[in-house]
Amino acid sequence: MACGSTSLWAGESTWFCCGSAWGPCGSAGTGACGTCQSSRAQAAWPNASQACFDITRPDLCGENIPRRGCGSVMNVRHQCSGATVCVTISDCGPRTKSFCGEATCCNGACRTNRVIDLTPAAFSAIGNLDSGMLPVYIYE
Amino acid sequence: MNTGHQHGRSGDRRGFDRRRFLTRAALGGATVVGASALGGLDAEAAFAEPMPSLDPAIARSTFAEGRISRVNGSVLEVKGSYGEQHLVQLTNATSVWKLRPTTADAIKPGDGLYARGVDMPDGTIAADAVWVNIVNILCTIRGIAKDRLHLSHGRHAVVGHLHAAHTTASYLGGAQTADLSRLRIGQSAQILGAWRPEDDGIDVARVTAGH
Repeated sequence: MACGSTSLWAGESTWFCCGSAWGPCGSAGTGACGTCQSSRAQAAWPNASQACFDITRPDLCGENIPRRGCGSVMNVRHQCSGATVCVTISDCGPRTKSFCGEATCCNGACRTNRVIDLTPAAFSAIGNLDSGMLPVYIYE
Repeated sequence: MNTGHQHGRSGDRRGFDRRRFLTRAALGGATVVGASALGGLDAEAAFAEPMPSLDPAIARSTFAEGRISRVNGSVLEVKGSYGEQHLVQLTNATSVWKLRPTTADAIKPGDGLYARGVDMPDGTIAADAVWVNIVNILCTIRGIAKDRLHLSHGRHAVVGHLHAAHTTASYLGGAQTADLSRLRIGQSAQILGAWRPEDDGIDVARVTAGH
């Protein structure tokens, strides 16, 4: 399946590690889909399944995020630079409910609530890992 | 639905071809001068001045991860977590992060690494940026001391070492502050920092406190 250009969502992106890795990431495992690797262009989606949704609860932050299961593909685009990466959903996350109301901004425009988590490979394709968070648009 | 309107590509492109500059720097055997050749790297600067898109003539950047087995001049020999080998070439355009923007001198064998760059004809990766020992993990705060946080990450206990000169906190996306007094036991917290291979702790760069 190819990444598309139909607008799906917008919000904050964070990054996470998964698969074989060093440091505290070594215990992360391959995620809810069993395929997650930090070095691949992959992502975690907060409504990858009902069990996932029950953990992340984006609805508690007003985000009625649609279900997209393991293997779904999305284009994630930095709100300001336009840098884009095509990712495959490979895990459940982020835990949106724990950060309701959080905002990340660039050029004076902000995106609110964590709606996608990118692997280091994917996040670094559109931003710098040391920023921790980016405001993004998501397409499918 | 919380979709945002589309923006055009940023007109804020810098006045040079980042990729071509990087490639030339690598081929020229340039010396390593550190993190700031391409601009500020802290989070505030990153948000204020978004990274320009990489050269559109090159469809994608290359990514490498693993642990550094040897530092050979300006080349990092990296063993990937799946057994692959990478040779990461540092140039005078490479930004280096290890708890803070720093220079290549801070990179040691045994460190973990993420690198972004471009494939070179000789099989090396000319690095645009390397992040050494960087971690960004969701934890729960279990204890608070003057110089450290006791954290749980999944089923694992982790000690987060606080540094007055480097550690900041952000409360629900607010501005970064050196004031850590609003952290609470039981809070969810995103910890961005540098893993310490010697004791498996984390030097904390930023705590983002949640609910």
